[in-house]
Amino acid sequence: MAHGHVELTQEQTVIPQGHPWRTKLPLIAGVIGVGGLVLSYLAVMGHVVEAKAFFHSYLTAFLFTMSLSLGGLLFVLIQYVTRAGWSIVVRRVAENAMATLPLMAILFIPIVLGLHDLYHWSHHEAVAHDPVLKAKAGYLNEQFFYYRAGGYFVIWILLSFIYYRGSVKQDKSGDKKITRRLQNLSGPGIILTALTLTFAAFDWIMSLDPHWYSTIYGVYYFSGSLVAIFAFLSISIIAMQSAGLLEGVVTTEHYHDLGKLLFGFTVFWTYIAFSQYFLIWYANIPEETLWYAHRSVGSWQKMTTFMAVGHFVLPFFYFLTRSTKRHRFALLVGAMWMLMMHFIDMYWLVAPSLHHEGVVFGLIDVTTLLGIGGLFLAFFTWNLRRNPLVPIKDPRLQESLRFENF
Amino acid sequence: MAAKNPKPHGLLAQFDTASAIYSACEKIRDDGFKYWDAFTPFPVHGLDKAMGLKRSMLPWIVLVMGLTGASGGMLLQWWVSVKAYPLVISGKPLFSWQAYVPITFELGVLFGALGAVFGMFHLCRIPQHYSPLFKSERFESVTDDKFFIAIEAEDPKFHPEETAQYLESLGATHVEMVEQ
Amino acid sequence: MTQSLAEKYRPENLEAYDPIGGRHPLVIGGETLHDITELVCRPIERKTPKAWWAFFLFSASLLGIFGMSIAYLFWEGTGIWGLNNPVGWGWAIVNFVFWVGIGHAGTLISAILYLFRQKWRTGINRSAEAMTIFAVMCALTFPGIHVGRVWAAYWMFPIPNQMGMWPNFRSPLLWDVFAVSIYGTVSVLFWFTGLIPDLATMRDRSKTKIKRIAYGIFALGWRGSNRHWQHYEVAYMILAGLSTPLVLSVHTIVSFDFAVSQLPGWHTTIFPPYFVAGAIFSGFAMVLTLMIVTRKIFGLENIVTIRHFENMSKIILVTGSIVGYAYGMEFFISWYSGNPYETFTFVNRAFGPYAWAYWIMISCNVITPQIFWFKKARTSIPILFVASIFVNIGMWFERFVITVTSLSRDFLPSSWDYFSPTIWDISCLVGSFGLFFTMFSLFVRFLPQVAMAEVKAVLPEADPHYHPGDAHHAEAEGAH
Repeated sequence: MAHGHVELTQEQTVIPQGHPWRTKLPLIAGVIGVGGLVLSYLAVMGHVVEAKAFFHSYLTAFLFTMSLSLGGLLFVLIQYVTRAGWSIVVRRVAENAMATLPLMAILFIPIVLGLHDLYHWSHHEAVAHDPVLKAKAGYLNEQFFYYRAGGYFVIWILLSFIYYRGSVKQDKSGDKKITRRLQNLSGPGIILTALTLTFAAFDWIMSLDPHWYSTIYGVYYFSGSLVAIFAFLSISIIAMQSAGLLEGVVTTEHYHDLGKLLFGFTVFWTYIAFSQYFLIWYANIPEETLWYAHRSVGSWQKMTTFMAVGHFVLPFFYFLTRSTKRHRFALLVGAMWMLMMHFIDMYWLVAPSLHHEGVVFGLIDVTTLLGIGGLFLAFFTWNLRRNPLVPIKDPRLQESLRFENF
Repeated sequence: MAAKNPKPHGLLAQFDTASAIYSACEKIRDDGFKYWDAFTPFPVHGLDKAMGLKRSMLPWIVLVMGLTGASGGMLLQWWVSVKAYPLVISGKPLFSWQAYVPITFELGVLFGALGAVFGMFHLCRIPQHYSPLFKSERFESVTDDKFFIAIEAEDPKFHPEETAQYLESLGATHVEMVEQ
Repeated sequence: MTQSLAEKYRPENLEAYDPIGGRHPLVIGGETLHDITELVCRPIERKTPKAWWAFFLFSASLLGIFGMSIAYLFWEGTGIWGLNNPVGWGWAIVNFVFWVGIGHAGTLISAILYLFRQKWRTGINRSAEAMTIFAVMCALTFPGIHVGRVWAAYWMFPIPNQMGMWPNFRSPLLWDVFAVSIYGTVSVLFWFTGLIPDLATMRDRSKTKIKRIAYGIFALGWRGSNRHWQHYEVAYMILAGLSTPLVLSVHTIVSFDFAVSQLPGWHTTIFPPYFVAGAIFSGFAMVLTLMIVTRKIFGLENIVTIRHFENMSKIILVTGSIVGYAYGMEFFISWYSGNPYETFTFVNRAFGPYAWAYWIMISCNVITPQIFWFKKARTSIPILFVASIFVNIGMWFERFVITVTSLSRDFLPSSWDYFSPTIWDISCLVGSFGLFFTMFSLFVRFLPQVAMAEVKAVLPEADPHYHPGDAHHAEAEGAH
């Protein structure tokens, strides 16, 4: 363990004036974001793309970006509940990811507008003739859907606000009582987040196929979000260090841990994904297998195989060695690959309910992703400038700075 | 059995703290000794580097064993279910790779674990129930709370009196000669 | 005024100790390296205490009951149990899953807490790993004895035979055979590897030649060579890295016994992580129960501290919550699915003939762990002891509720029937505890129940950069 007190300078903890991350990056990201959304809108208005296709692409991009925001919230809560010491230097970055939740709430509105195009259970005439859908109409109806979504966002925004504000307040006061309070709240916070995330996954993704159900579905989206946040943290911190920020603050030791956790949660995702698939395959009950049947038709089968290889086999062997996780560029490449695979995972969850015969990847998928992703990045980087890049007076900061891995 | 004045095994020096043995090891490494070792009641953090040891190759042994186990498991199940004793079970294909995953995985882990343990035994050359060092009574405390360094007579830089003085200068609280 | 470590870590001074910004010390009372050796070895070396004899003889008599029950079972057949049509799976599989689950905590403590750098595991991992091995032994007896035609048990293994017959690799029951026996094997390997340095300690302290040879043989000539420690540490980390997915996969495969079926209440995708969480839940409760007792009897309070118990109770709270989450998901989706058989199953569990078992399960598994939100409960030995026993009772009932309610009332009402245990079901369960406690009492009598080398390695003085009076280091190495 490195010893002695590590003193941080102003340059290490704040984005300097005139730095591109302070000025240019939020602007560029914002322009791409707005541009992407405008282009998508125009494509629909100009009948280049069907409204249905637009809403499905939008939902995919939204779910992908949402998993980053929620992943940030989950990361912060988990670090508090486990009283972790290694992660203090990266926590502020995750806090800024979760600070985008209010933006995501606004970006949810198009999904509300596209409800009819997305969700079969909102087609009242069809539901009236379908006993299964009629039985669950008490849950799957527009009103309750809106109230639930509102509830989820209220809880997430409230939690993220409490944690962000507490952390930032501690930058000035160094008050240990804040840590104590946030630790005590993190247990109930995780339970609340787990439940709301689960039902959000049920509502927004699982109900795309309203006859189908899976008790593990919430855990599936949860596992994907954790893969996403660890990939995102790795990428953004490596990018920040390349731009001269956080120098000497985040070290190889921290990257090693981020890499380990990325590896671990990739394996966890695989475990959940395989469990769900395997049990449904084995029992072979048609009302369950239909979901996988949709994903083994035509080119969907190719994508499914590609996910098995790209989301598990390759990253498993790639991240296995110690040296990969400790090498910045290797970690960057691996993390970018995982983030891409996570997007493909979201696409694979959503798109088969629109394109039944095969993969139809269009420009609209790109513009919606750029749109929502760009706005997310803009908000994220804009938040980064407002506060120090690390919680400078966190009581466990020294432990984090001196941290040494196995 | 022992010849008269047999060549000694080496010098055994006792140290009382982890930090003492750590700094001693760094110096011995830097001074170019080859046939020597440190003995501690528990693994001391960073001592491998202080001794200049190369990374262990155990992980590679484990990887090979693990892959062997996993592929062997898949092969066994394929052969049994497709060639040796094909049965149609609830309409599942003869080669139901999905169903073969659990045992494949388990056998991979088993062989990996066997590789780790027996690979470690091999790399350490244990069991090795005899060592000249066991002749020293003081050495019994190596599994309790004391630390030792042994420089073997085989080392080109070894000299009975000079090396003993050298060890004392490094902070050893006691130095003794150990017979073969 | 600089306090000495011994002063600082005295139990009375700990309340004032600030856990934020520093960490709780792992070993209290200022114990030195030598103190650790003495504390752990002394109970094994002195004369056998009377309490041990009482416990051992009691356990051995339960083991005798187990032996008698098994003998009668082999003689008469599985009809002596309460199994009927439709409940063809009864207490045997419930006990099997129960014991496998308990075993999982040992591996979690050894392997997963190691990977998460939780140094506090060193006080409890030896006992927990031993507990795993004995739990797996208990678990494996049930599939072994329940086959009916015991002389045909070798059919389970893929060995060439005169009939040219091979086992069915598509059956989860066969995956169990592999998974649980491999789990037992790897657990023994891991436990033994950890024991080697401590066996060397026992060898070097032995006063009689017999003891020296006995411990010495198994110590394999270990002498603390750092060249050996290097490979040893790598092997240990690899074993931890292998055991982690192993423990997750074993109880997942056990859950597959139920989940690959088509039975409502059994076939549900959340079973794998739900079973794993439940296993850790019950396992930690059993570790708590055992360690509360042994720590008192063997005077290990400074090594297995109240902080250890607090951390364990937090893990019990987390895993209990995951189990509660799974209950909630099953319940919600059983309605959401619109499948009347699914919905019926869950209503039947709560209000049907087995409602009594269901509500025992809920109060023990969901309600009881909630007290651990309160620090007072987490640090009170009586509450910890009682709660841990309730948790294990609850987890036995959970497996019972899952197995029996779904079988006793499935698709066709004319096939419904009620299962009641016979005296032989009960004697086998009680007897398995006899096996478990007999093995455990032998363990504490002859082997060091704390991993001495590992505990020593997390003392502040084990750090080569440690200087007495260096506050930062003492605090940085610690439990939460």
